[in-house]
Amino acid sequence: MSLKSNKSLVKHKLFNMKMIKAIFFAGLLIVTASSCKKQLDINTDPNNAVIANPKLVLPQALTGTASNLNGFNSMGAQLVGYSANAGGYGGFGTSITYNFSSSDFSGRWSNTYDNLEDYQYIINYSKDKPEYAYYGGAARAMKALSFQLLVDAYNDVPYSQALQGAAYLTPVYDPAKDIYKSLATDLDSAMAYFVKGDATSGVTPLSTYDVLFKGDVVKWKQFINTLKLRLIVRANGKVTFANTTFSADGFLTSDALINPGYVRDNGRLNPKWSTWGYTATGDANKAWMPNKYVMAFYDGTKLIDAGRGANTYYKFPLTGTNQLGVEGTSIQSSPSGSFWYPLASPRVYSTAGSSPGPLKGPTAGYPVITAAEAYFLRAEAALQGITSDAVQANFDAGVAAAFKYTYALENGSTYVSDPAAAVTQYRADNVTSYLVNFALATSNAQKLEAIITQKYIALNYVNSEEAWNEYRRTGYPTVVTGGPAYATFASTVSESTRADKLPGRILYPSQEGSYNTTNLPKGITPFTSTIFWAK
Amino acid sequence: MKLRKIVLFSAMLIGWSVTSLAQSKIVSGKVTGANDQPISGATIKVEGSASAATSTNDKGEFKISAKEGNVLQISSVGFKSTSVRVTAAGNYNVNLEVYVNIMDEVVVTAGGIKTKRKEIGTGGTVIKADNLIAAKPVTVAGGLQGKVAGLQINATNGGVNPSFRLVLRGQRSLTGNNQALVVLDNVIVPNEVLGNLNPEDVESVNVLNGAGAAALYGSSASNGALIVTTKKGVKGASVVNFQNTNTWEKPGFFPKFQRGFGAGGSAYGYWGNFSYLENQSYGPAFDNVNRPIGAPLENGKQDSAVYGYSEGHTKFWETGMTNQTDFSISSGDDNSTLYMSGQYVTVTGTTPGDKYNRTNFRMNGTRKVSNKINLSYSSSYTQNRYDITTQTGSMYGNMLNMPNNVDVTKYKDWRNNEFANPIGFYNPWYLNPYFTADNWRSNVRNDYFVANLEVKYTPIQGLDIVARQGITTRNTSNKDWVGQFLYTAYAKTTDQSSKSDIAASVNDGTSYTTNLLTDFFAQYQRKISDFSLNVIGGTQWRQDQAKSIGISANGLVIPGLYNVSNGVGTPGAGESNYMARQLGVYADARVGYKGFAFLHVTGRKDWVSILAKDNNSFFYPAADVSFIATDAIGALKNNKVLSYLKLRAGWSKVGQVNLGGVYGAYQLLPTFNSGAYGFPYGTMAGYSVGNTLVAPNLQPEITKGIEVGFDLNLFRDKFTSNVTYFDTKTDNQTVTTSISSSTGFTGLRTNTGQTSSKGLELTAHYTVIDNRRNKGLTLTVGGNYTYLDNNVNFISDQLPRLALATYGSTAGSYAVANRAFPVIMGYDYKRDAGGHVIVNPTTGIPTKSDTISVLGSAVVKDKIGLDLSAEYKGFRLSVVMEYRGGYSAYQSMGTELDWSGTGWRTAIYDRKSFVFPNSVYWDGAKYVTNTNVSIANGNGNNGFWTDGINRDVTSNYVTSGAFWKLREVSLSYSLPSALCAKTKVFKGITVSAQGRNLLILMAKDNYYTDPEYQDAGSGSNGVGLTGINQSPPSKFYGASIKFTF
Repeated sequence: MSLKSNKSLVKHKLFNMKMIKAIFFAGLLIVTASSCKKQLDINTDPNNAVIANPKLVLPQALTGTASNLNGFNSMGAQLVGYSANAGGYGGFGTSITYNFSSSDFSGRWSNTYDNLEDYQYIINYSKDKPEYAYYGGAARAMKALSFQLLVDAYNDVPYSQALQGAAYLTPVYDPAKDIYKSLATDLDSAMAYFVKGDATSGVTPLSTYDVLFKGDVVKWKQFINTLKLRLIVRANGKVTFANTTFSADGFLTSDALINPGYVRDNGRLNPKWSTWGYTATGDANKAWMPNKYVMAFYDGTKLIDAGRGANTYYKFPLTGTNQLGVEGTSIQSSPSGSFWYPLASPRVYSTAGSSPGPLKGPTAGYPVITAAEAYFLRAEAALQGITSDAVQANFDAGVAAAFKYTYALENGSTYVSDPAAAVTQYRADNVTSYLVNFALATSNAQKLEAIITQKYIALNYVNSEEAWNEYRRTGYPTVVTGGPAYATFASTVSESTRADKLPGRILYPSQEGSYNTTNLPKGITPFTSTIFWAK
Repeated sequence: MKLRKIVLFSAMLIGWSVTSLAQSKIVSGKVTGANDQPISGATIKVEGSASAATSTNDKGEFKISAKEGNVLQISSVGFKSTSVRVTAAGNYNVNLEVYVNIMDEVVVTAGGIKTKRKEIGTGGTVIKADNLIAAKPVTVAGGLQGKVAGLQINATNGGVNPSFRLVLRGQRSLTGNNQALVVLDNVIVPNEVLGNLNPEDVESVNVLNGAGAAALYGSSASNGALIVTTKKGVKGASVVNFQNTNTWEKPGFFPKFQRGFGAGGSAYGYWGNFSYLENQSYGPAFDNVNRPIGAPLENGKQDSAVYGYSEGHTKFWETGMTNQTDFSISSGDDNSTLYMSGQYVTVTGTTPGDKYNRTNFRMNGTRKVSNKINLSYSSSYTQNRYDITTQTGSMYGNMLNMPNNVDVTKYKDWRNNEFANPIGFYNPWYLNPYFTADNWRSNVRNDYFVANLEVKYTPIQGLDIVARQGITTRNTSNKDWVGQFLYTAYAKTTDQSSKSDIAASVNDGTSYTTNLLTDFFAQYQRKISDFSLNVIGGTQWRQDQAKSIGISANGLVIPGLYNVSNGVGTPGAGESNYMARQLGVYADARVGYKGFAFLHVTGRKDWVSILAKDNNSFFYPAADVSFIATDAIGALKNNKVLSYLKLRAGWSKVGQVNLGGVYGAYQLLPTFNSGAYGFPYGTMAGYSVGNTLVAPNLQPEITKGIEVGFDLNLFRDKFTSNVTYFDTKTDNQTVTTSISSSTGFTGLRTNTGQTSSKGLELTAHYTVIDNRRNKGLTLTVGGNYTYLDNNVNFISDQLPRLALATYGSTAGSYAVANRAFPVIMGYDYKRDAGGHVIVNPTTGIPTKSDTISVLGSAVVKDKIGLDLSAEYKGFRLSVVMEYRGGYSAYQSMGTELDWSGTGWRTAIYDRKSFVFPNSVYWDGAKYVTNTNVSIANGNGNNGFWTDGINRDVTSNYVTSGAFWKLREVSLSYSLPSALCAKTKVFKGITVSAQGRNLLILMAKDNYYTDPEYQDAGSGSNGVGLTGINQSPPSKFYGASIKFTF
């Protein structure tokens, strides 16, 4: 064991040497460490953009609105009697009982807010940049449109604290009436931005980034007036608006269509076409077919409308129909391309299109608000005394515009046949009906019924959600419970406690219950809770 | 190089008086080990003599001068020391038993540092090769199940190469990574490598349960670590092994089906009436009459089935087959060692058509270049190939939607059988599951290369300078395709058909990941009188890089040509790239006093690329102490009862950066998404504000914890045990939490919240009978127990809960403040104050709660592993059982079973009207017990089970997660070495039969599947969810034969 102490002696001798090595080693570490600092500066995202400008955001935001509206259209169509469950499918569940759960239609909420954030980004971006005034104006207009969609579906929603990111993680729900009032003011602000844009030299034009009006500022102003008119008409007598005047630009006289360049390609088709007609590679949704209720306005049961019937429905007047809620082996299956694509051929995904009717084709523009709706709004506004417009002139212009929309082919500018002649025929075919010949309507109630009923026909699979709003607001078109299948669009297995056996609203999405629990209004049911403007 | 020699002390001293008169003579002999392999370098000492010692040569032979009556002590590293008395005979052949005294066992710990077990102040378990591969698991993770206290291994699915989730001591990070770090031969590797490593190559797995033990690995180590060491060649003669194993896999547990009712429903055949078309099983009671099913074919033929229960649903799953062939060579001399191995595995799964194969190569070696320089290397290459369906879930769903009276298995040949072909298949709403499995396919190839080179320079005794370079790289490609299927016009339009053409599509992707790890450290060891010192200082550089590219095409034109150039329209394409780096500088010191008291401290500072510059470095220290009472206290020495007692305690702090995404790279700024809604259109681009908000100044999560414990051996180590209590808290959670979409965003990435995990780990074994020396019966029983209390302390005021994994946005696994981590949440029935279900006073139908609530904890509170091993004359039996309990699971397949009407629950009221059990209704003034308001439409498609709220009420499908599994049983027999020697070819032959999961006992209320499955996948913290994406749990039976040359 004496050897051991010898060894440690040896070590002691080497200690200095080791110290030198240790210092060298430590020095090496420090050098390595400091030179590595630069090597750590590699966190620049090579995959995603972290900055963008309104020119990049506006086109996708508008196209997103079209996609969102398509979701609203599908919802409205099943709720307002345009569509019914088709043969070959089961499991419609709450779609036919109306006893909605919080997961039904929840995409409407999240998609709308997601879309709204893009408009909010443009609004924030353009606030102090006058050169982007047009973009700020467009975004404000679209924001108002989207919030109206939300209020009309959900009543109270987050508005004043919404879209502010981390500033309000659980935004409060504002009363629907207050939101309506603010939206009208927001539209005035949108208008002001366009006016400011006109006065700003070097303003960035909307040009082709505007996939709605292709940079046509006058149409934007008319659009803003029309949206404001819709708010005021719907909330008439329930909301005191700050300002009920409209700019001199007037209202829309042509259809407002979003079209970024829809094409028959994966994910680039008109969303309504790819939902109901054909996808880029095959059949689309075949679970729904026309409702017997709406068919009665075409096939002579209630009104004779052979022209629009044949240009809206496949095999009209032998189109397959169903009453919502009826399941069983007697119900027809939907054909490939659906009943809303009227042409007999071509009925294959690769060539179908160029059609009149609501779907038209893969490259058609998506309607945000049609000229027909604008005219019917003006007719009603005049009838209610909101404006001093002419009632019948606007009613007739609305019917004519509705025919034009239905008769228009995929490109929107050519027609399957002369719509004006068809209107004349329509008036003649229904010569005793005040729903068609406005002069026959004697009371204000009849006039309103005529306006809303024609609007209902005009909105068929075009903007179905608006028809549902108008039914809930006015009770038109009329439904008769307990009568024949065509007399009501209520489901045969409705669990609704309302007199019309229909739902009053959809429920807040479950995400809100999870993430905004405290603010979420409680006790909402699909039958007893209604939107503030409801009848 | 002369490392401190590890002296094995011999436990058995034989008091033998030395005859002083005896004459010295030369005694010779041979020392052998396992399989009678010679042991070179074994030490032979004459007891009582300080100087008389020698060691064996390469052939294991020795010569030593000794007197008759002397006792020779024979010892060698890794073997149990033994002694023989010198008698008149001159030749001694000694066979040493492979054994290491537990307290002096050398284990590989963090950083590849070898340390004696007694010096370690933290809890852990070492699993040796024999124990790991007794039941011939295909994966290392599978072989660890049930064997380690504190380690929870969950197979996240069944399938041909199941993924595993490995978590030590519960979950710490709310949404970040909680899986144990896997270190293979000193290289940090992705968890998936465990599924692709040849288990036969593994020498040992050292499980470091706590962050403290693993602190040297830096921020990756907060979840503990599995240090996997592969085999090295052994100095001495070469050994060649060849082994073949066949394993049969059979589903061992099925969802519980009702057996009384077949096809029918309200829509297609009103309830009570048979429907030849309906797929739901809500028809009348079985009457065993042959009836048509489905619409007639175009040629007029009609499919039919007996209206009676068929076993088809359970027979749908097939018997899987695994064949493993292993080959290894091990060799070594004084200057180098070599280990080479190869393995080929083919697997067919229980899911029809699923196939998998894997090939492994390994080469490990060491080389002594000079007295001062040693090299070592390990390298492995693995390739695996999958040919599986992508649609296990929908195939299973399709299968469950076949009525109970239809034998699904007769539709297997869909290409030739016109009733099985989709055109003529009787069910118009759900595809033939065999067709689904064949028409949606995925081919995946993965190539892994893992290697490590190490140079050790020893300039002076006691100082080692080590440089290491490790690499793990994975190169993968996949092709997922869907075949085209065109229906006839008749099939599309006949009788309620919703059949529509299936367009062909293909997704093709390729990606690589490369992880580089560079270590450079110096270790200095020294003894100064009673103190021992072991100091390490080093630096580590880590770089992780990944890239993937995917491309897809739809509407493929030429049938069967699954190439992206064969599509119509614009192909979809995507690309992503990631890189992250980390620099760590660390120091580690271990001071020992007289070999019975040890203090160990470590400190490490990391700089990471993924955090903001001002925030990107963090320091964390750890310390532990260990005290061997049996060595320190004189009264305890050589105690016949108490043979070993070590007390230990540790404290640690570790930071972990958990930003989500790949390596956490690029998570600091909100991004804009492109490509939605079909953009770009021509020359027009589109961008949209991303959905995730990011809080500024994100910080690492910090885990602080303590652990205390003891190792206790009794009765000369016949009883061994260790017990550890741990308590950790993790602060500053990095969380991307879901937020109300009305904020304009759906997620917020921020630092908030705290989790805690405490528990007890206990391992004990008792050798009941020990006749190892004479190859007689030896029996050891033991097990491990883990108690875990894993909680979320708080998240934030605004966000009291966090969705971890959900179905839709409701039922699922959540982190909730002051609750177990995680809990299962979902809808319940509306209940009165007494917990009775409130039903409608007229319809008797219950109502669903307005909001989701906590329905159970998904934390496995109690986990027990039991094992038994017995040896007798070449026979070896080993058994491993595992129990888990004290937790719940949400069995999402329950909704599908209720929908289809095949589920057991749907017939519990015999399809008759019933009063909802334990219910009350509001009589206008108060809740009264419901005894008479029965649910009218209790049987039928439109009825209670499918269309009402039943399937929305999550609590209906929350079951106990408790189970007992007989994880492993293996029985092997090694032919006597003498017999093998006669062949002159073989040195050993071992045959074995083994089974895994032979017995699976679930909780009584679990009608569904194995709660060990994780529907949310191995990377998700949202545990506690199972679904139809996992095939039924399997039992495995196998046999193997091994030849040693």
